[in-house]
Amino acid sequence: MNRKIAAAVLAGVMAASALAGCGSAGAGGTAPASAAPEDTAAAETEESVAEETAGASADANSLTVWTWDPAFNIYAMKEAEKFYQKDHPDFKLNVVEVLSDDIETKITTAASSGDLSTLPDIFLMQDNSYQKYMTNFPEVFTDLTDSGIDFSKFGEGKRAYSTKDGKNYGVPFDNGAVIAAYRTDYLEQAGLSVDDFTDITWDQYIELGKKVKEATGNPLITSQSGSPDLIMEMLQSCGASLFKEDGTVNIVGNEQLLKALDYYRQMVEAGVLVEVTDWDQYIASIQNGTVSGVVNGCWIIGSITAATDQSGKWAITNMPRLDGVTGAVNYSNNGGSSWAVCTATKNKELAIDFLNGTFGSNVEFYEAILPSSGAIATYLPAGDSDVYSKPQDFFGGDAIYSKIIDFAGKVPSNITGAYYYDARDAVGVALSNVIQSGADLEAELQTAQDTVEFNMGG
Amino acid sequence: MTKGQKAAVYLFLIVISAVCVFPLYWMASSATNNSLDVVRGRMLPGLYLAENFRSILLQQDLFRALINSFRNAIVQTFLAMAVCSVAGYGFEIYHDRAKDALFSVLLLAMMLPFVAIMIPLFRMFSGWHMVNRYMAFVLPSVATPFLIMMFRQAARSFPVEIIEASRVDGLSETGIFLRMFVPTMKATYGAAVTVTFMNSWNSYMWPKVIFQDNNSTTMPMLVANLLGGYTVDYGMLMLGVLICTLPTAIIFFGLQKSFTNGIMGAVKG
Amino acid sequence: MNRKKGLTLQKKKLLTGWFFVIPATAFIFLFSFYPMLQAFILSLHRGVGQNLSWNGFANYTRILKDRVFFQTMRNTFVYLIIQVPIMLLLALILASVLNNRSLRFRGLFRTMIFLPCATSLVSYSMIFRSMFANDGFVNTMLRGVGMAPVGWFQSGTAARAVIIIALVWRWTGYNMVFYLAGMQSIDYALYESAKIDGASVFASFRHITVPLLRPTILMTAIMSISGTLQLFDESVNLTNGGPGRETMTMSHYIYNTSFVQSPNFSYAAAVSVVILVMIAVLSFIQMKVGDKRD
Repeated sequence: MNRKIAAAVLAGVMAASALAGCGSAGAGGTAPASAAPEDTAAAETEESVAEETAGASADANSLTVWTWDPAFNIYAMKEAEKFYQKDHPDFKLNVVEVLSDDIETKITTAASSGDLSTLPDIFLMQDNSYQKYMTNFPEVFTDLTDSGIDFSKFGEGKRAYSTKDGKNYGVPFDNGAVIAAYRTDYLEQAGLSVDDFTDITWDQYIELGKKVKEATGNPLITSQSGSPDLIMEMLQSCGASLFKEDGTVNIVGNEQLLKALDYYRQMVEAGVLVEVTDWDQYIASIQNGTVSGVVNGCWIIGSITAATDQSGKWAITNMPRLDGVTGAVNYSNNGGSSWAVCTATKNKELAIDFLNGTFGSNVEFYEAILPSSGAIATYLPAGDSDVYSKPQDFFGGDAIYSKIIDFAGKVPSNITGAYYYDARDAVGVALSNVIQSGADLEAELQTAQDTVEFNMGG
Repeated sequence: MTKGQKAAVYLFLIVISAVCVFPLYWMASSATNNSLDVVRGRMLPGLYLAENFRSILLQQDLFRALINSFRNAIVQTFLAMAVCSVAGYGFEIYHDRAKDALFSVLLLAMMLPFVAIMIPLFRMFSGWHMVNRYMAFVLPSVATPFLIMMFRQAARSFPVEIIEASRVDGLSETGIFLRMFVPTMKATYGAAVTVTFMNSWNSYMWPKVIFQDNNSTTMPMLVANLLGGYTVDYGMLMLGVLICTLPTAIIFFGLQKSFTNGIMGAVKG
Repeated sequence: MNRKKGLTLQKKKLLTGWFFVIPATAFIFLFSFYPMLQAFILSLHRGVGQNLSWNGFANYTRILKDRVFFQTMRNTFVYLIIQVPIMLLLALILASVLNNRSLRFRGLFRTMIFLPCATSLVSYSMIFRSMFANDGFVNTMLRGVGMAPVGWFQSGTAARAVIIIALVWRWTGYNMVFYLAGMQSIDYALYESAKIDGASVFASFRHITVPLLRPTILMTAIMSISGTLQLFDESVNLTNGGPGRETMTMSHYIYNTSFVQSPNFSYAAAVSVVILVMIAVLSFIQMKVGDKRD
C-alpha cells in the first residue's frame, strides 16, 4: 500500500517537474498550463467546436429544460415531451435536474458575468423569486404576453407572480394554494368535524384548537421556528404584503401584519401552535400523528399521504381568515412555480409552442400527470376534468384535487417585488425574537423595516 | 503506563469514538429503513436497503455521479500533490527573503470567501468554453496555500544533513527531492492525499455553478437532488448520503498507516 | 533538467528554488488572485450584472452602518475564540494518545475519530438537529439525570453552543491527522528515553510533542482561524442563522446578500474583502509569533 502511494506521488511529482521544465500546455484538454493561460484558452476553443454541451439547444427540434424534483416537475416535463411528440415526432427534450436554489444561483452567475449562453431554453422558477429576478436580470426573461398562451385560464393570484408591468414572463405550473388539512379522528375526539373548520376565522380556529388540545393533548398546528411561512400566508389571504404599491417597505404600521403576528403569538400561548426546530421535525409531527392539522401549500399533501397508515383519517378544507380586515378571504398561497423561456434560446418559437401546447392549454396532459405524481396544476379548466374530480380514499373520499384548483382560483394577488426575500427574512427574524426571546414586537418590526430599507439603499 | 491508566485511555478513546461514529451508524441504519420509519426515529436496521437502492437507481444516475466524483477527486488530488509538494519543498529548502515574502502573499488566497470570487471565476471558465468540463472543476483547487504550507512545514523537519550529503554524492537538486524527500515524507503525503481527496469529493459550491448538465453531476449534487423535492424519501436520502460518505472513510482507513510509520525508518531504508 | 556548467552552486540553487515554486504560484495567481482583484474592483462599484457604476469606497463605509454585519461578526468571533482552542487542544491530545505504539486498535480508533469530517454535511446536520430538538436525545438525557431540558435552538447562547459542539465534533479528527503526520518526524526514541528518565506522560507532551510540533500547530491554527472566519455550512444547515440572526456567520451573510436577498454583489465583495483583512491580520500575528526557523 505504502509503496504504491509513494510511487504514485513520485510519478505525480515527475509530471509536475516535466511541466515546470518545459512550460508548455499538456495534452488533450487537461492542460494545467500554469504559466500560459492564453495557450489553454486557445486549445479549449478549438476543442469546444467539436463538442458544446452547455446551454440552450442548438438543434432546431430540441429544447433544454432545467427543473427539479424527479417525482414531480421532471416527471411532468417528460410527460409533456411525449404529448408534444404526438404532433411533432422529431421533437426532443433534454431535461436537466437542477435544484431550485441552483437554478437561481446559475442564472445569477451567468447574468452577472454577462454570458447567457450557458442557460437553457426553458427553466422553472419559484413564484416568490420571479420579481427579484425579473427586476435584477430582465435580460434573461422572454416576454410571453402575445405568445398566444391564454393567461386568463390561470388564477389571478398565481399569474401576478410572473407578471411585470402588465407583461407575462412565466407559464404558471405547480400549485401552491394553501390548504388546511385535519386529522378527522382527532377532531371526532373533541366532538368536532371538518365542517366546523370550514370558512372560519382565526379567532374561531384558536377556540376550536383549544378544544382539540384538551381532548387529544395535541396541538392543532406545528410550525418551523423562525419560519415566516404562516405569517406570509395570512398576509396574502387578505391581499396584503410587506411592500406598498410604490415599492416602499410596509412593515411598521402594517395592520394586517400586526394582526397576523398577534394571532401567531396567541396560538403559541394557548398551546394551539407548537414550534418545532426544523423541517424534518415538522414533517415528523405530521407523519407521527403528534399534530391534529396542517396549514400549508397544497404540495404538503405528498408528505401527508406518505404515512399510509393514516389513510382515511384526513380531510381537507380552506384555511382560516383574518377577522375584521377588508378583503380577507379563506384562501392564500405558499410556494409554487412557473416556467420561463430564456432569451438565450435559439428556438424561441418552438419553446413557446411547446409550452402552449402542453402546460398552457392541454387538459388531457394535466389529467395524465396527476395520478402518479400528484402534480396539481393551476390551469383552471383542469379542475372540472374527471381525473381531478375523482374521490380520494386517503381523504375520506373527497375530490380534493378539484377543490384545490377551486381554492387556487380564489387566491388574492399580492406584491412580492425584488426585495421580497429581504423583507420576508426580516419578518422571520422579528417573529423569532418575539416568540423565542420575548422581544418587544414594535421595536422588532422597526428593526425589520430598517434592515430592509438598508438593503434597498445599497 | 499503569494498568489503570491504560484502562482509562481505552475508555476515553471508546467514548470519543462512539460519539464520532454514532451519526454514521444512524445514517447506515436509516439507509435500511423506509422513509416513514426514519422520520419516526427508528434506530435499528430494517429491511428496506434493497428497495432504497432500487429507488435511488430509478431516480438518479448513481454510477455516473460516482464515476464523476472519483475522476474529479483523483485528478485533483494527483495534480495537487505534484504541484504543492514541489512548491512547499522549494519554499523551505531554498528559502530566501523573496520566497518567504511570496509565500506570505500566497497565503492570502485562502482568506477570501469563495462566494466573492465565484463570478469572476465563472466568467473566466465560460470564456474558455470550459463549462461542464471536469477540468474547470479541478484547476482552481490544484494549488492551495494550505497544501503548500503543509509541505513547507514538513520540509522544515527534513534533516539538512541529508541534503548536503546527497549533494556531495552528486545527486541533482531534483534528484534530492524525488529520491530523498518524497520517500521520507510518506506521512505528510498520506495526510495530504486524504484531506485533498476529501475536500474535492465533498466540494459543492463550485461544481454546482460550473456543471450544468446531467452528465457532470457529482455525488454531493446527487445527494442535494434527493433533498430537493416537495416530498423527501428519507430512507433513500440516507442511502445516498451513506454511499457519498464511504469512499473518503475507506481511503482514510487505507492511508492512515502511512501517517504513523516513523520517518527514520524510511530514511534508512 | 540539465543545467549549463559554469553556474555557481549558489545560482543553481537559486534557480532551482524558483523553478520549484513557480507552477504553484502561477496557479494561485491565475485562479485566486486574478478573480480576487476583480472582486475588489467590483467592491468599488454599485449595481447588478452588467449595469455597474463607480461607487468609490461607499460600500466600505456602508459596512460601518450595517447592524446585521456587526451581529454576524460578533457571532463568528464567539465561535473563533471558544471553538478553535478547544478543538486544537483536543486534537493534539488525541494525536499523542494515538501515537503511542503500545496501544492496540490504533488504526481503528484513528479512523473512527476521523470519520466525522468525512460524514456528509446533510446527514450530520440532520442528526444534530434531531438530537438537540426539544424532545430529542440530549434533552431526554438531561431529564434522565434530573436536569431541566434546554430549548437548544430557542436561545442564541444555546444555539451557538450547539454550533460549537458540532464544529468540535466535525473537525477535531481532521486536525488530529496533521498532528499525527507531524509526529512522525519526531524521533520516537526521544519518548522512550524520557520514559526511562522517569518523565510523566504530561511532561513528554509538554516538553517534546508541543515544541517539536510547533510548525504543524501554527499551520492548523492559521487554517482554523481562516476556516472559522469563513464558516458557512453549520450556520446554514444547523440553525439557518437562527433564532433571529443569533448564530448567523459572516459568510452566511455574504451568501444571503448575493443569492437570497436581492443580489448586491459589490457589497458582498466589500464585506468579503473586510473578512480577508481580518484573517490576514490574525494570520500575520500568528506567523510573527510562531514561524521562526531554529
